Amino acid sequence: MATQLLSALVTIIVGVGGCLAYFYSSNFLLDRVFPAGASNDAAAVRNLKIQSAIRPWLFLGPALIFLIVYLIYPVIQTVWLSFHDKAGTEFVGFDNYVWAAKDSQFRQSIFNNFLWLLVVPAACTFFGLIIAVLTDRIWWGPIAKSLIFLPLAISFVGASVIWKFVYDFRGEGQQQIGILNAIVEYFGFSPQVWISLPFWNNFFLMVILVWIQTGFATVILGAALRGVPEDTLEAANIDGAGPFKIFWRIMVPQIMPTIIVVWTTITVLVLKVFDIVLTMTNGQWDTQVLANLMYSWMFTGGGDFGRGAAIAIVIMIAVMPIMVWNIRQANAEQKGAH
Amino acid sequence: MKFRLAFGVAALTLSLSAPAFAADLKYPLGEGPFHWENFEALKKIDLKGETLTIFGPWRGDDEAHIQVVLEYFRQATGAEVKYSSSENYEQQVVIDTEAGSPANISILPQPGLLADLAAKGRLVPLSADDAKFITDNYGAGSSWVALGTYKGKDGASSFYAFPYKADLKSLVWYVPENFKDAGYEIPQTMEDLVKLSDQIVADGGKPWCIGLGSGGATGWPATDWVEDMMLRTQPPEVYDKWVTNEIKFDSPEVVGAIEAFGKFAKNNAWVDGGAAGVASTDFRDSPKGLFSAPPKCYMHRQASFIPSFFPEGTKVGTDADFFYFPPIAEMPNLGKPVLGAGTLAAITKDSKAARAFIEYLKMPLSHEVFMKDGGFLTPLKTVNQEAYVNDAARKQGEILSSATTFRFDGSDLMPGKIGAGAFWTGMVDFVGGKSAQDTGAAIQKAWDEIK
Amino acid sequence: MLQRIRLEPSRFALHFAVFVIVALWTLPTAGLLVSSLRDKNQISASGWWTALSTSEQKGQGRTKGKADQVEKDGKFVIEGNIFEGGAPTTVSAWGTNVNKPGANAPGATADLGDGQSMTVNADGSYVWSNTKAFEDDRGRRVFYVSSVPPRFTTENYGNVMFSEGIGRSFMNSLTVTIPATIIPILIAAFAAYALAWMKLPGRGFIIAVIVGLLVVPLQMSLIPLLKIYNATGFLSKTYLGIWLAHTGFGLPFAIYLLRSYIAGLPKDLIESAQVDGANDFKIFRRIILPLSFPALASFAIFQFLWVWNDLLVAMVFLGTEPDKMVLTYKLNSLLGSRGGNWDILTASAFITIIVPLIVFFSLQRYFVRGLLAGSVKGG
Repeated sequence: MATQLLSALVTIIVGVGGCLAYFYSSNFLLDRVFPAGASNDAAAVRNLKIQSAIRPWLFLGPALIFLIVYLIYPVIQTVWLSFHDKAGTEFVGFDNYVWAAKDSQFRQSIFNNFLWLLVVPAACTFFGLIIAVLTDRIWWGPIAKSLIFLPLAISFVGASVIWKFVYDFRGEGQQQIGILNAIVEYFGFSPQVWISLPFWNNFFLMVILVWIQTGFATVILGAALRGVPEDTLEAANIDGAGPFKIFWRIMVPQIMPTIIVVWTTITVLVLKVFDIVLTMTNGQWDTQVLANLMYSWMFTGGGDFGRGAAIAIVIMIAVMPIMVWNIRQANAEQKGAH
Repeated sequence: MKFRLAFGVAALTLSLSAPAFAADLKYPLGEGPFHWENFEALKKIDLKGETLTIFGPWRGDDEAHIQVVLEYFRQATGAEVKYSSSENYEQQVVIDTEAGSPANISILPQPGLLADLAAKGRLVPLSADDAKFITDNYGAGSSWVALGTYKGKDGASSFYAFPYKADLKSLVWYVPENFKDAGYEIPQTMEDLVKLSDQIVADGGKPWCIGLGSGGATGWPATDWVEDMMLRTQPPEVYDKWVTNEIKFDSPEVVGAIEAFGKFAKNNAWVDGGAAGVASTDFRDSPKGLFSAPPKCYMHRQASFIPSFFPEGTKVGTDADFFYFPPIAEMPNLGKPVLGAGTLAAITKDSKAARAFIEYLKMPLSHEVFMKDGGFLTPLKTVNQEAYVNDAARKQGEILSSATTFRFDGSDLMPGKIGAGAFWTGMVDFVGGKSAQDTGAAIQKAWDEIK
Repeated sequence: MLQRIRLEPSRFALHFAVFVIVALWTLPTAGLLVSSLRDKNQISASGWWTALSTSEQKGQGRTKGKADQVEKDGKFVIEGNIFEGGAPTTVSAWGTNVNKPGANAPGATADLGDGQSMTVNADGSYVWSNTKAFEDDRGRRVFYVSSVPPRFTTENYGNVMFSEGIGRSFMNSLTVTIPATIIPILIAAFAAYALAWMKLPGRGFIIAVIVGLLVVPLQMSLIPLLKIYNATGFLSKTYLGIWLAHTGFGLPFAIYLLRSYIAGLPKDLIESAQVDGANDFKIFRRIILPLSFPALASFAIFQFLWVWNDLLVAMVFLGTEPDKMVLTYKLNSLLGSRGGNWDILTASAFITIIVPLIVFFSLQRYFVRGLLAGSVKGG
């Protein structure tokens, strides 16, 4: 264990030092080869121009290399695989996509993903807003917010242990140790196997993601609410608008852009949701979602990369509109900033 | 210079992870019912400085057992042996082989999955001698060879996977004292078993504990039930055609077997927790119901490995025991069919050490050590039967050998996408309320799609 | 400032509403924490919310066998205590029939038929007598109901830390997480500055690509990357390999977050530095880095949580050998091999979340500030 610690320490130093060394030395070299303080002005201007043409790429270089290797190349590879058979050797055209369109599990996943998309971002944003507004008005608000934020720090595996414990089922007449069934029994109903209840089990899985992500929404929306100009609120208050009216008519429209950001961020997350389904049900009892379906086609039972890749591409296409919107947003901001 | 030095240190420290520790041999050399001459023979293979990586399905107690077995290999050959496993080993082995970084030896319980890997060219064939060894020295040797023989990437059949460790599936576990207290007799026929179940219900108890939960593999225990029912309602030839899909999943023979399972699992009066509880109860928790007071159930059908999940300190043979899941008396021509399973070792990355390990698996010693440590049955005839950890294991060995029909777990023989996918989910849906006919049709549809 | 608007109904309702929401959100985690501190047997016997009350617990013991019988007054007697070897509690009912485990009161003598009778006292001591000699060498099962006072213990943690090998995994997780958090920050900060303030062709396009990469599902890059790793030889299944992988996967978000923060820094500051003749490298070091500390810290926390909590990347890039298991993987395999052992599961689950909680609470301030920079501005 001591060697392990030492190796970690050494690599931190080497890794970080290596990074620093790269940035320092490459910039130093640039300044040396094309000195800005050259003998005559013409050369200096030329060198400065060259410097400013090269330097951004020195800054950007390592990041670009990482992005190309770790993300762009795999995406291209996946597109290629989606047009090939399960071993990735024979070209099969659109067969994998045609198969997907007909496959009942795939349709089930699309339907479930649609449910997730409908419910989770909305629920997170809704609770986030409510909690942000309420906690802003009490002295222990920050503590409350921290507690609601806390699940964000918990891993999906940890969360699944927590929620398996909540949803635990024991037969009728036995002592329940899952709190949900205990409550249900207390009110005189019979205990349920929550994660296998057809259709509704999807919602029991969604609850977990909502539980994790609401804190994120709360914090961001809370900050945005604070940014609503005071005079607007005062004016409305003087006009005799009720609190709910102020909230819906004035505050919500004012922070609409932030609400959209929160909504999109969670939407992207939902499309990638995988761990919760894998650890809670592995897609059984009709809870399959696209990301998990892809994982299972890629890696279970010998694997079929063609179909797995096709599903991955479908996920990518599904998030495309959000991507485009985000890119536009980024570009617009770019223009505004400079 | 400084930088290179530092990098060198980093590389050095990185390579120092997990030094092999020389643990003591659990069973001292020269004592006990072991073939110690094998150890001497093994010593002649010098593997010092070689590393052998093994990937297997065993975790928890079983992992402790295999480590004991491996320790003898380590000490005799000097090789460094690293065993690893994964909760999702079926996926992990695909990831590893696909990426080109598999272990030297991959041990898997699914011939179907191994066949898939062989077809993709991910396995290295074993020698014809290895196949001959199995034929000559294993009980029902040729059927074991068949289990390990697959078509390679070039379409030619070769022997790829060496069977090591068998499991007996057709067992019903019970608590003898509970039976004694209630005055129940061990049933000899399926008819008696049904009568006993009804009797238990009449006495106010629940006869069965059934749990299908197993994380990502939820549903598999039900496939064993269906296979056992197939063997008890249909001749073995039908079973063989079923696993190759010559007989469709929605044919009356198969649907009948699924329904026979449903008679147990979908019967709220017969199953602890009701049909709804069956699919959600973890198979590892399920047998615990036998041991509560009052008992949640009286019987639990599960393979020979299940005592690992009995409450701490349970003595198999006295605190808990098993009987053979009986055949149907009305169909005497089917004899005493036995359903089994086993794990097979294949070379996924060839090396001298990997070949030496296969040699080790041929030696009785590698079987005896595991037998002695527990949870191991073997069809290898040359082992010392004394090595079985207890009478129960020996008794299971007898059932294995006295079976008139032995068949390997069908779901493990089917293509991975079915046997470790559609069949599992299908059974979950079936227990959840789908009809046997629809369930069979859904699985058949999945099978058609991968053809 | 919202306080100024009078949202009437009453302060009490407000406090109550927030309290209910907070309770709902913390209840699941509280259940885990409470359970992990309870006695092993009590966790699965009663709900964690009853942890403070005395619980009725069923148990069973076994009497001694024929070897210990003594002949007394013409009767054969076996005496002993059913708690032998276990923790003593108080018997509130007992029985010898598995279907009637609480048929008799403590101290009562039950006729077992066939000339046998038994008495079990509240302290667990029993007298089993027979008119004939005992022939059973395993004794007889005695079932009892005992009232067990609430018991809290750190035993579960001890067991998990030492015997289940969580301690080792804890170190592995740290080894993976710390470098995988620091390396991407540096690389991303430079890139973010270049994309925010430097003139380069195709800047808009690069930003667009990076934003697009935010949504790439991780799973699809596993196999192509593993193939590269194996081709290089020295990356597969090493810590170096996983550090680089996490760096690659974390970069789009890091650049996205840092760029929007850095782009929002006052223009004058940078321009005046440029007028003073400082080049971009100097500006970056002297002005940008110190000013963007909140955003850097915020990303660091995000990345830390993500890497610490990751299961998939660790499983694939680091492998499953016992000496390299990270905490999440360990927990996942415990879920498999110890399915119903809630004592082990709850304690180990809590151990895995303790570090992120500490990190999160101690750096919460920065976390929120950095986040706000990224997304509120974006809208």
